[in-house]
Amino acid sequence: MDMASILYLAVTFGLFVVFVLIVRNTYRRRNKDAKEAPKYRMMDDD
Amino acid sequence: MGKPQYHTDIVKSFVNWSLVWGVVAVLVGVIVSFQMINPDLNYPPYLTFGRLRPIHTNAGIYGWGVGTIFAMFIYMVQRLCKTPLWSLGLARFQLWLFNATIIAAAVTLLLGYNTTLEYHEMEWPIDLMIVVLWVAFSINIIMTIIKRKEEQMYISLWYMMAALIGVAILFTVNALAVPVSAFKSYSIFAGTNSANVQWWFGHNAVAMALTAPPLAMFYYFLPKSTGVPIYSHRLSIIAFWSLIFMYLWTGAHHLLWTPIPDWIQTLAMAFSIMLIAPSWGSVINGYMSMKGQWHQMRDNYLVKFLILGITFYGLQTLQGPMQAIRSFSAFIHYTDWVPGHIHMGTMGWVSLVSVAGIYFLLPRIYGREVYSIPLANLHFWLVVIGQLIWSTSMWIAGVLQAGMWNAMNADGSLTYTFTETMVEMYPYWWIRAIGGVIYLIGILVFIYNVYMTVQKGKEPAPKLLEVEGRA
Repeated sequence: MDMASILYLAVTFGLFVVFVLIVRNTYRRRNKDAKEAPKYRMMDDD
Repeated sequence: MGKPQYHTDIVKSFVNWSLVWGVVAVLVGVIVSFQMINPDLNYPPYLTFGRLRPIHTNAGIYGWGVGTIFAMFIYMVQRLCKTPLWSLGLARFQLWLFNATIIAAAVTLLLGYNTTLEYHEMEWPIDLMIVVLWVAFSINIIMTIIKRKEEQMYISLWYMMAALIGVAILFTVNALAVPVSAFKSYSIFAGTNSANVQWWFGHNAVAMALTAPPLAMFYYFLPKSTGVPIYSHRLSIIAFWSLIFMYLWTGAHHLLWTPIPDWIQTLAMAFSIMLIAPSWGSVINGYMSMKGQWHQMRDNYLVKFLILGITFYGLQTLQGPMQAIRSFSAFIHYTDWVPGHIHMGTMGWVSLVSVAGIYFLLPRIYGREVYSIPLANLHFWLVVIGQLIWSTSMWIAGVLQAGMWNAMNADGSLTYTFTETMVEMYPYWWIRAIGGVIYLIGILVFIYNVYMTVQKGKEPAPKLLEVEGRA
């Protein structure tokens, strides 16, 4: 496996880790109210 | 804190001009569909299928599609950020440049200047105009977001930012070319690289111009129309990030069975299948948002447009990944199946949601109630029936075409000549043209309704503005 392939895999894995962190942060129980708040606030934006 | 003064006149202008270009796109589409049936309707050199077809696609994508994006983004960003647009002057400049660009594109395409890159046919001077136009638009929207009064960003804003950044990158990379004269340039990419970059652009233009913006609109206008918030904001965030993560890898599924590296094709195929998940994340979110509200499909015409729109999106994002599988692609690629697929997305998903947005906006930007809800319902049925006839005829034609192309005699020779397969297409091309005419009539009903709303619509009751669209 050459350096380019290792780098390619590393970037892909890095993106996957970022995605997992986003999921974890979004679905954390203590973040629930904060993450759902925008859907209520946008109803009163006119 | 006082209520912010939002700019609506500029939204009005973009709505009006996107409607103009939308009619042009559909009208030219109907003309080229009849040219397919009767070649005598080609009038060389200007009014031939080869020159009119890119005008149809570019007027549809850049005139109608992007024009509506301009209008909707400017409307939504102010409200979601609870702050006026960052620069009205920049938006006015953008409006003029937008129309100048579309006119320049139409004229040069009619004259035969064409890069031959699908959905990127305009030559380099017009590419430069598009880049300036998009940068001006992006700066205005992003600066408004930066100056926002709302701490948390609603999901529509995320999709809007993705579209701004995504289109900028895709368009610029695919536009990289060496000009050799005022209206001729050559791409800096060659051979399989050129094909790979072209379809990385081509497919992701669908993602960033025809998926992310309509999703931004859908997430905004559905709750506004039903009066009920979306089912889950968290699900919308996960669907957003997974869509962004997966989409950009899928372009090479347009190049299955070609000389590009096999691993790129496999990667594109795998990511295309995975893309079902985020796409359906939004579809399910939309359906779940209708919990207890399904009766509104009967008595709220806006909801009809939006829910049918997201349903076509759901079907589109199942059909697309199936087409990205090697074995299926080998059968249907290059047949009439493919335009059937594309038009379900453009005539079904994108246009239904955009039209719902415009109906929603009318009372707010013109200060008048929609002139006729029965006409809006007639418009709905005409465009849905027209689109279904259009796409279904092409799917049947595509399967027939593929079957005939692949048929072989016992000695290995082809059973049918290419001309014989073309002759078999004629009935389906007739049906397609009729579907297009029905769709065009629906659009004209819409334009009439908009015109009459502006001319004779009643002053809206303040309460009606809160939940618009009830019949």
